[in-house]
Amino acid sequence: MLRIEDVHVRRGGTHALRGISMTVNAGEIVALIGANGAGKTTTLATISGLLRPESGTLSYARCAEAAPIDIGRMRAEQIVQAGISHCPEGRQVFAALSVTENLRIGAYLRHDRAAIDADIADLQTQFPILRTRANVPGDRLSGGEQMMLVIGRALISRPKLLLLDEPSLGLAPQLVEQIFDILERLRREGMTILLVEQNAAMALDIADRAYVLEAGKIVLEGTGKDLAGNADVQRAYLGAA
Amino acid sequence: MGSAYILSQIVNGVILGSMYALIAIGFTMIYGIVRLINFAHGDIFTMGAFTTLASLALIGLPFPVALVVVVLTGALFGVVIERIAFRPMRGAPQVTGFIASLAVAIILENLLVMTISAQPRVFLVPEYLNRLVSTGVITIRVIDLAIVALAIVLMIALVFFVHFTKVGIAMRATAENYDVARLMGINIDRMIMLAFAIGSGLAAVSGLMWGSKYGQISPFMGLLPGLKAFVAAVIGGVGSIPGAVVGGYVLGLSEVLFVGLLPPEYSGYRNAFVFGALIVVLLVMPNGLLGRNTETRA
Repeated sequence: MLRIEDVHVRRGGTHALRGISMTVNAGEIVALIGANGAGKTTTLATISGLLRPESGTLSYARCAEAAPIDIGRMRAEQIVQAGISHCPEGRQVFAALSVTENLRIGAYLRHDRAAIDADIADLQTQFPILRTRANVPGDRLSGGEQMMLVIGRALISRPKLLLLDEPSLGLAPQLVEQIFDILERLRREGMTILLVEQNAAMALDIADRAYVLEAGKIVLEGTGKDLAGNADVQRAYLGAA
Repeated sequence: MGSAYILSQIVNGVILGSMYALIAIGFTMIYGIVRLINFAHGDIFTMGAFTTLASLALIGLPFPVALVVVVLTGALFGVVIERIAFRPMRGAPQVTGFIASLAVAIILENLLVMTISAQPRVFLVPEYLNRLVSTGVITIRVIDLAIVALAIVLMIALVFFVHFTKVGIAMRATAENYDVARLMGINIDRMIMLAFAIGSGLAAVSGLMWGSKYGQISPFMGLLPGLKAFVAAVIGGVGSIPGAVVGGYVLGLSEVLFVGLLPPEYSGYRNAFVFGALIVVLLVMPNGLLGRNTETRA
């Protein structure tokens, strides 16, 4: 679905990505783990078009039958249209918009008004908080509620590929469980997910495959289970002695 | 000082406030979306007045048609200025855009002086707008009523647009965070252009109103109303459209009442009063009357 080859990105003078290559196949959850500053967020921002790669290719096909397109030179809004939705780090709900407006703005590129309303109603059933607090400004929700809102806001564009940046950040453990349950359910429903996480243990547990990023390079890759058993990964990211 | 006198002063304050509010809305929309204090905004107001004069006197358009022409040309001025002068500065420090806007203001003023001369021009509205309406207590002109009614209609339309249309919501989202707005599929260049178009169209209408009300226009007429509308936007809370409206009316009313109710020897202090009021409001309420705290985002 997504194939990244030898991508270099410079970000304000620093060489943030130094030739990374990775693939995400349809229906997978792929985890990208690594320390702070390793380039995880930069990778997602490059895929979603917020940053331009200096070199390398990013090709994406929304389904198996579709011809792959080069998204490396596309504008962010064209990439959303192509079916990639990015939940940025730190949740980033629109504080000046109500909860429902936050959801509606997620459907900005859709024009099927009735279906949008149905999708919003559907999300409100899955996450009742989005209904009970529909008219409250986005930033009045708690951290966990905001996370539900941004996942809903990303889903309402009906993406094929979901990019999630640190969904567990700053959330209580049972909320993190809840978020990961949602990701499992999305995978069962056929969603493809690229997940960036600090919480490597949980990310590797849920991921089909995973990549380890260090100083702008991919240093390890494998199935989630393999990496969770890898001694280096255990030492560096899983807190083993 | 009878009640009719006070009432007519209040009416004058509401008229002046309507015009300030329309200019202030543009200030606040443009600041809200690009964090630019647009010093050229008062000159869009001037351009609006001259466009009206040209449409009425030179081309002989009916007044309502001239109104539409003024809105559209004002919007066009705004969009062109944004494209040429401000877009290349995006991402630069705030002061750079501020200086660019000063340059635009000086260029526009001098263009008018060179092409039309600095002499004030007489600005005549059709006779039917000058007719007097008597309500029993006070007598006002049709144009005065029209100014207030039109301003209110435009403001209601704007609030509806910003809150209940998809593009309006997208504009608020863009004002809050460019990157996240782009992740929603919003073309932020287009939203910024739209904010300039709407804000400038409203300022141009205000110029039309000013000429109609006071009967005289000049290339530098935009300077003080522009500054005062900026004060109104700040008093209301810069970035907030309802704040700009409230600020505009508060300023217009208090300015007229200050001049009208105090002994005549104080009327020379009218501008000092306005800017003094700004300082007091900012000391007491640093975010303005209706502003959100945006300290962390500046």
